Amino acid sequence: MADTKEMKAVLFGPVFANNPIALQVLGICSALAVTSSLKNALIMSIALTLVAGFSSLFISTIRNHIPSSVRIIVQMTIIASLVIVVDQVLQAFSYSTAKELSVFVGLIITNCIVMGRAEAYAMKSSPGMSFLDGIGNGLGYSVVLLTVGFIRELFGKGTLFDVSIIPLVQDGGWYQPMGLLILPPSAFFIIGLFIWVLRTYKKDQVEAKA
Amino acid sequence: MSSNNESIGKTLTVVVSLCLVCAIIVSFASVQLRPLQQANKTKDIQSNILSAAGISKVDDVFETFNTNIEARVVDMSTGEFVDTDPSTFDFEKSKYDAALSYSLKEKGIEDIAGIQRATTQAPVYISKKQDGSTDTIILPIQGYGLWGIMYGFLALESDGETVKSINFYKHNETPGLGGEIQNPQWTAKWEGKELPIQIVKGTAGSDEHKIDGLSGATLTSNGVEYAVDFWTGEHGFGPFLAKVREGALN
Repeated sequence: MADTKEMKAVLFGPVFANNPIALQVLGICSALAVTSSLKNALIMSIALTLVAGFSSLFISTIRNHIPSSVRIIVQMTIIASLVIVVDQVLQAFSYSTAKELSVFVGLIITNCIVMGRAEAYAMKSSPGMSFLDGIGNGLGYSVVLLTVGFIRELFGKGTLFDVSIIPLVQDGGWYQPMGLLILPPSAFFIIGLFIWVLRTYKKDQVEAKA
Repeated sequence: MSSNNESIGKTLTVVVSLCLVCAIIVSFASVQLRPLQQANKTKDIQSNILSAAGISKVDDVFETFNTNIEARVVDMSTGEFVDTDPSTFDFEKSKYDAALSYSLKEKGIEDIAGIQRATTQAPVYISKKQDGSTDTIILPIQGYGLWGIMYGFLALESDGETVKSINFYKHNETPGLGGEIQNPQWTAKWEGKELPIQIVKGTAGSDEHKIDGLSGATLTSNGVEYAVDFWTGEHGFGPFLAKVREGALN
């Protein structure tokens, strides 16, 4: 069994040091789509973290029995089943969010982070470590999603979790919301800035010049 | 990974048993959660009907809906109420039921709303005043916008002529452009207008049949106009509305 230090590295490494969005630039698509409000970003983060963790766990558990000729299909089947379960649970307990997230929950199936971790880590590591790795990468994704969601909702709508924080001009306040932030492309700018800040702080993430 | 993992027998065993396990988990989740999901869907539609009727700030949707709204099923060609139980009548499903629907193209009817099939029966929702007289008539409407079918409710005053409100609860229009059909500031413009409605570019002013189009969303605006036209026309609720105008509900 791996020691605690290694477990910590696997769990928290992907949050800043090896962030799947910021360093590996994976999973951008859903990061643009679901971050217009913090609530959607939060639910998407939880869904992805759970799917990444459990798919890595299950794939790792049966990794010694997966024939390598069909391994991608086997991984997909497990991931897809988990995503369907998550989608069903959302529709049952949080219908309005499920309606807003709509296809993006289903698209977790093709999220590069989940697939990438399954193929790159879970196929070679023990179930416990794979689970931590999945959760860790989910957390890395969540940090970016929540940051983007926070900025977009606060400055785009003047609210956080639908609670008014900055009074808007149309409700008699002083703040003129930035319409651009509501639209998906604004997430590009914010993720770009996020990567810039992260790489200024952690110089080793800067790619070597060719 | 040992080499016998790659044998055909092992591959088949792994794949088949994995699929079985996954299928069982997925079907279990789906079957167990279905009643809750169904209830959520009904609640969503009912709260939309309530807001179309002008009843907002609802604590208990089921309760308020049952006390304030009377659901009936209408025969589209005669405009008469039929005995179909509205609580079990599934409007969405009946579109795909050959006995309850027909293809507009085969009948040679111009499909202005882009819905392809129309039903022979449809639900209407009637909200009553305290004294039992009709307050609002709420009609389900559907029509093709820019990206897909928009589903909504059109609420009319008891005269069957004056629009009270319009709201869309399901659509795929572009957020910020066509998606503005849900914007309360735009839907507020519908209040007090008279059928037939025309959505125009620029300013409609105080013309009682005209409504400002959504800028940057001409096709969505047209879609909304055609949907309202179709559903209040002779192949939609036209016959029913004709009866309403004669006072069938009072």
